[in-house]
Amino acid sequence: MRVAQSSVTTCVAGSYSSCKASGASASDPEVMGYEQFPAGLRVLVVDDDVTCLRIIEQMLHRCRYDVTTCSEATVALNLLRERKGCFDVVLSDVHMPDMDGYKLLERVGLEMDLPVIMMSADGRTSAVMKGIKHGACDYLIKPIREEELKNIWQHVLRKKWNENKELEHSGSLEENDRHKRGNDDAEYASSANEGAEGILKAQKKRSNAKDEDDGELENDDLSTSKKPRVVWSVELHQQFVSAVNQLGLDKAVPKRILELMNVPGLTRENVASHLQKFRLYLKRLSGVAQQQSGVSNTICGPVDPNVKLGSLGQFDIQALAASGQIPPQTLAALHAELLGRPTGNLMSGMDQPALLQALLQGSKHIPIEHGVAYGQPLVKCQSDISKHFQQSKVSSVVEDISSGFGAWPSNNLSTVGPSNNLVGLSAQNTNMLMDIWQQQQQRQQQQESQPQSMLSEPGCLINVQPSCLVVPSQSSASLQAGDSPASVSQNGHFNRSSVIDYSLVSSRSNGSSLNIAQFPNGGLNTTAGVPGGYLTPGSISSPSSSCSVNANNNMGQQGQSSTITFSAGRQLPGFAPNRHDIQGSYTGKTVEMVDQGPFRNLGFVGKGTCFPSRFAVDEFESPMSNLGHGKLYVDNNRVKLEPNVDLMENTKVGIPILHRFSSNDVTSVFTE
Amino acid sequence: MLGLGADRLWADMNRLLALLFHQGVLDEQFVQLQQLQDESSPNFVCEVVTIYFHESEKLLKNLRGLLMEREFSDYKKMGIHLNQFMGSSSSIGAKRVRNVCVAFRAASEQNNRAGCLRALELLEHEYCYLKNKLHELFHIEQQRLLAAGVRYPMQN
Repeated sequence: MRVAQSSVTTCVAGSYSSCKASGASASDPEVMGYEQFPAGLRVLVVDDDVTCLRIIEQMLHRCRYDVTTCSEATVALNLLRERKGCFDVVLSDVHMPDMDGYKLLERVGLEMDLPVIMMSADGRTSAVMKGIKHGACDYLIKPIREEELKNIWQHVLRKKWNENKELEHSGSLEENDRHKRGNDDAEYASSANEGAEGILKAQKKRSNAKDEDDGELENDDLSTSKKPRVVWSVELHQQFVSAVNQLGLDKAVPKRILELMNVPGLTRENVASHLQKFRLYLKRLSGVAQQQSGVSNTICGPVDPNVKLGSLGQFDIQALAASGQIPPQTLAALHAELLGRPTGNLMSGMDQPALLQALLQGSKHIPIEHGVAYGQPLVKCQSDISKHFQQSKVSSVVEDISSGFGAWPSNNLSTVGPSNNLVGLSAQNTNMLMDIWQQQQQRQQQQESQPQSMLSEPGCLINVQPSCLVVPSQSSASLQAGDSPASVSQNGHFNRSSVIDYSLVSSRSNGSSLNIAQFPNGGLNTTAGVPGGYLTPGSISSPSSSCSVNANNNMGQQGQSSTITFSAGRQLPGFAPNRHDIQGSYTGKTVEMVDQGPFRNLGFVGKGTCFPSRFAVDEFESPMSNLGHGKLYVDNNRVKLEPNVDLMENTKVGIPILHRFSSNDVTSVFTE
Repeated sequence: MLGLGADRLWADMNRLLALLFHQGVLDEQFVQLQQLQDESSPNFVCEVVTIYFHESEKLLKNLRGLLMEREFSDYKKMGIHLNQFMGSSSSIGAKRVRNVCVAFRAASEQNNRAGCLRALELLEHEYCYLKNKLHELFHIEQQRLLAAGVRYPMQN
């Protein structure tokens, strides 16, 4: 065993910033400031190859990181357990004699939720894929270069920001929600807050940053230190997993899991927080599955909000749904979860109308809902795809047209039900979740191409195809803002880029029919995240794409102030370098804009207004690493700002317009 | 005169390094390794290479042991060993050793025992060559430092 700690870290359970302030590496936070951010990052390196271990240690030293090395995975795991909160990131070898690197990765992901970077000499795709599947945030191929290690801080930051955003969703809605969560989460969440805030403050170069941080830190420590920690040992986790499997992922609520596990001393909160992590873990797995099959994730949609749901009350769901933050198809999943939830009281008559109302308001979403419901059968009856597809499409469209707002509730009742089941169906066996989805995705992908070739005109077949996931948002956006000059510029933007058919599609106004046609696939996805993932085959690594989903989702909620929406969207391109990504993120934003329509109308404006400044800074943070890109995005920002504002104004008109358009188009398309 | 000796040794060292690079025994990763050597760890390259030799010899022994078994079947274990060997070799910039490892691993994946044996022999050969050359290099380096060290106080 070789556990060498190169510099002493004082163990303060908490954030990077707190540890840095008290750590030996930072002599004085006032003097150091936060400008030297990555310096002092606490890295744990695990590798049975002592040669590499020594080299990496030296390299990390050169980056002025705080290195702890360990040549055995089991020792490393114990170290991580004993000194929770004392590491920011873990670097782990893949093949180790005592414990597989993947296993370690899995444990770390479940227990302490740290970013783990895998490394191996084995650079074959299968090996890398396996690493990503297990939740690695990066995979470095040996020989590892100093430049690569210099950059690992980004994973720490990215993770913290993502957590931060998730927290803000719930936190802003229910302030004390945070405290109701499991102790683990409270701690990590608070640390995430501080970490990000500290850094943000550094950007602004505030002089009083330290005092504020300290203040927050103490508060958080007080609130979290009282609760005892539960170590989720392998056995305990196994019990947990079997309980979840027994109940089914959708039906698995902390209380019932707790009952099934029957472990003395374990509280509902412990289980709740672990369940949350477990779901995140599954989400990560599914994220990879999807990339493998070449289509962006569908599971992300349902699972992601579920995770948040874990601690949300009924009010939140309405609000989230209303803001479009939850894609409607995931509402179905939410619904399923809520029904099984004893604490939420959501079965009561109050909630269902509320959910429906939320659906109602987001009228554009309803086709999506149908898409989900009808898209699923597609998978099952392979033989008669095109026919079936068209039929189901027609029926869903017909519903769309014929039923006005008044008629919707009944429709919804019927559609929410089936889609509910479908989501449940696909997720019924969580162990096989990935495989099933993969297969389905592949099949869907194949089938998707067939019906589309029938529906869309032959001329645009090829061009429409790759962009199919993007089209819905784009078309609906342009429909909605049909009379605003800004929408023209949007189209112009797309024209210049390689996907020419957007403008064609939307100008011919059959976009809405396409919309429905494509949603059997796309509708399952979290709409915002899809385009980016889909348009950039292979260029985004899985963590960043899942992050993009988050980012975009978040924006839907925060969408009142137009600038914020963009700034957060901008984070995406920051990670992903090529031209296509810009489109991807852009269309992602149009989805958000569309979402804002109902949001506005509903009048849930009070929510989310506290975010702007933070995300405005976000924006400038991410492109900073490569300034060339940064400039480009800022440009885009200016261009896109207008359409957004226009959209906001037009939203009231927008919905009727959309309806008129869709009915016309749909019928015309079908007569063709 | 001593100063001259140091210069000559410096040139010798560079010539040897150039040769090793030319032969593909070493690659730029070795240069990276040299660059990592600083005041905090003045003997870093030598230290790492010593660790590498130590580990590699264990690995080579294990590999030979695995291949010499009468009923050999544990290709998976061999793959893991090779992977490690590959990782450490590439990390110090031992290019040719690494390349042989790649071939070795390919053979082991095809359960090609004869190929594995051939690869092992080649690997041992490459390893010995590398070890000799690096020892030579360190030897010259040591002499050079001595020579430079002697000259140093005279100048200042």
